[in-house]
Amino acid sequence: MTGIYLDHNATTPTAPEVVAAMLPYFGERFGNASSVHAVGREARSAVDEARRAVAELAGSAPDEVVFTSGGTESDNLALRGVMTRAAARGRDVLVVSAIEHPAVLRAAEQLAKEGVRVVLLPVDGDGVVRVTDLRDALASHTVGLVSIMTANNETGSLQPVAELAAASREAGAPFHTDAVQAAGKVPLAFAAHDIDLMSLSAHKFYGPMGVGALIVRRGLRVSPTALGGKQEKTRRAGTENLPAIVGMGVAARTALAELATEPARLAALKRQLWEGISRSIPGAHLNGALERTLPSTLNVSFEGVDGEALILGLDLEGIRVSSASACSSGSVEPSHVLTAMGRDFDLARSSVRISLGRSNDRAQIERVLQVLPQVVARIRSIALVSP
Amino acid sequence: MIRPAGSNHRPDRGPLPAARGIAVSALPDVRGRRVVVAMSGGVDSSVAAALLARAGAEVVGVTMKNFCYSRLPEESAAASCCSLEAIEDARRVAARIGFPHYVLDFEEVFGRAVIDDFVAEYAAGRTPNPCVRCNRLVRFPHLHARAQALGADLVATGHYARMVRGAGGRPRLLRGADPDKDQAYYLWGITRKLLDRTLFPVGHLTKRAVRAVAAELGLEVASKPESMEVCFIPDGDVRGFLEREAAAREMSPAALARLRPGPVVSTSGEVLGEHPGSAFFTIGQRRGLGVAAGAPRYVVALRDANTVVLGERDELLADRFELEQVSWIAGSAPDGGQAGDVLVQIRHRQRPVRARVIPRGTAGAAGATVELAEPLRAVAPGQSAVVYRGDEVLGGGVIRSALG
Repeated sequence: MTGIYLDHNATTPTAPEVVAAMLPYFGERFGNASSVHAVGREARSAVDEARRAVAELAGSAPDEVVFTSGGTESDNLALRGVMTRAAARGRDVLVVSAIEHPAVLRAAEQLAKEGVRVVLLPVDGDGVVRVTDLRDALASHTVGLVSIMTANNETGSLQPVAELAAASREAGAPFHTDAVQAAGKVPLAFAAHDIDLMSLSAHKFYGPMGVGALIVRRGLRVSPTALGGKQEKTRRAGTENLPAIVGMGVAARTALAELATEPARLAALKRQLWEGISRSIPGAHLNGALERTLPSTLNVSFEGVDGEALILGLDLEGIRVSSASACSSGSVEPSHVLTAMGRDFDLARSSVRISLGRSNDRAQIERVLQVLPQVVARIRSIALVSP
Repeated sequence: MIRPAGSNHRPDRGPLPAARGIAVSALPDVRGRRVVVAMSGGVDSSVAAALLARAGAEVVGVTMKNFCYSRLPEESAAASCCSLEAIEDARRVAARIGFPHYVLDFEEVFGRAVIDDFVAEYAAGRTPNPCVRCNRLVRFPHLHARAQALGADLVATGHYARMVRGAGGRPRLLRGADPDKDQAYYLWGITRKLLDRTLFPVGHLTKRAVRAVAAELGLEVASKPESMEVCFIPDGDVRGFLEREAAAREMSPAALARLRPGPVVSTSGEVLGEHPGSAFFTIGQRRGLGVAAGAPRYVVALRDANTVVLGERDELLADRFELEQVSWIAGSAPDGGQAGDVLVQIRHRQRPVRARVIPRGTAGAAGATVELAEPLRAVAPGQSAVVYRGDEVLGGGVIRSALG
């Protein structure tokens, strides 16, 4: 059923040690971390341990970690929680890049409806934001928040986060980065890079779904988006999702440890894959620069090939990849990321995203290189019917 | 040939429960062959998929997304286009039986080939048949193309129709075995080349048998009610649909005029009242005329200048009519021959009548004149006339006009 899984940017399998660590918290260690008694204290100390692990992965202090339900909530909390306060003090411009995840773009659209002015930064042909564009925006607007992702989910394009954050700090604007796809694949340096807010999601680095974190720089006020109890220092109300938070902590420890070796291994597999594709399939175009993208992500457009047909064709051969323009409900829209990179409609619709992870090895890549040219050739041989 | 590495099929689920008495022998040998099944979410296509899976085919379920539910008024749309009940039903059947299921987007081509035509035809005073058009221009050609791209030579649907092989393996389209459910009428427009690669796994079964199979296999769709409406007008409100669509697109002044009030007249020219728009009426229509009269009155004609003509039942009779867009799935037009040579049907539910078909134009492809052995009521331009010999569909065409 799993076949060759090459869709790790969508989600990763929960690591066995993560599952094992979580299990007791569905059972005997069931406490509410807010309770003062012994059962509650045990839960509290488990949450604290996870908080330390996530802080280490992010490069922040533990008390800067706010657990959430995942990347989408983290992004929404960052944008809304900071922007509504900033706008009230006259800093009413939000700067985001054109290639952000929908969790950022839709939240920005909603803020725009509420009176916030949104500035959309373009990207270059490799899908990278230019620091000069941000400097220009910061010079000409009273910016309340900048939100630019660390690595793009579709192409893996890495953004110059350190420079972008420094430019924002210089202009007095808080800097948020959606690091959901980057965590565990490239080192994160929340404090060292002057980052003010960072979104993380556990299931992208072999943790469970339904849990994430927003790292918030000490001293930066974030208005909660849901009102209620005083959990997470009143920044995120609601009983802590104890088993999931424990799982995220364990996953963060492993991810941090593997940073020393795993990215290099994945980068080698990715190079093997791309070299094989460019050798055996004419009309294949890399989306994003090979060395300025996540070591695990390869996004390729195949001329004259419907990306959706390719994904389904590979699925039937047991190879699981994805694309931004194929969704389970069948709607096909060209990717906003590839469009922002200047790809025309046809190339944008002919792209697939191959995202590598722990389970992949050279033999699997060889198998993909065997099957992929045949499926591409088959699709190219079918003349499209028009009414 | 590519060999699957990871299996999409689910041996871990164990074999499907045996469905007793299913005549899978009506299918060709599909063992190990990849077959795309067009799944509407209804019981017929679900059972078609199940029968193929049982016969050893590598089934790939596909639900065609032909229009967006967000275009419909809220009360008749099931939430958003991404949570269509039909898609979910098909997905559930696929998961239950254990084969992959995909939703494919055909919105653009369906909109152009079927919905645009539907609106234009009504606005031209004709009565379109969107199912015929969809089969001819969207479902069969496009699904076959997508199937080939997926490495499947065969496409199956849940139609009550049969494909059998004649001399030299020639594919022949026959009526479904269940006379109450026969749907071959809607398939006259597909090409022989596509028919050759099409399977109708439920065509030899009765609806009763299909429901029984679904129940035995534990498919929840077993008792799902029949869908009777045009798929893109689930509430059946054709008039409301036409009004919304007309407002949303550019139409000729003549077409727009037929969506506005106009006179209702008798065949002798007497003005009987006013109608809200002749485009909302169909030849043969009796109800909803808004005109009080002694004897039952029927719409006998829609005249160009937005006039609805009422007459008596017998004024609807015609014994000759012209066809356009004619196509012969049997390969060639029936020989000119004697009157009563073939059978013709001008509606899905109508007793076929004997007729003679005189092809016109190049190789009989362009048009034909049909001479009926006995007159038929309400020969409506835009509807399909289908020509049969016995149970075999020879071909058909779109009614251009009634004659004499």
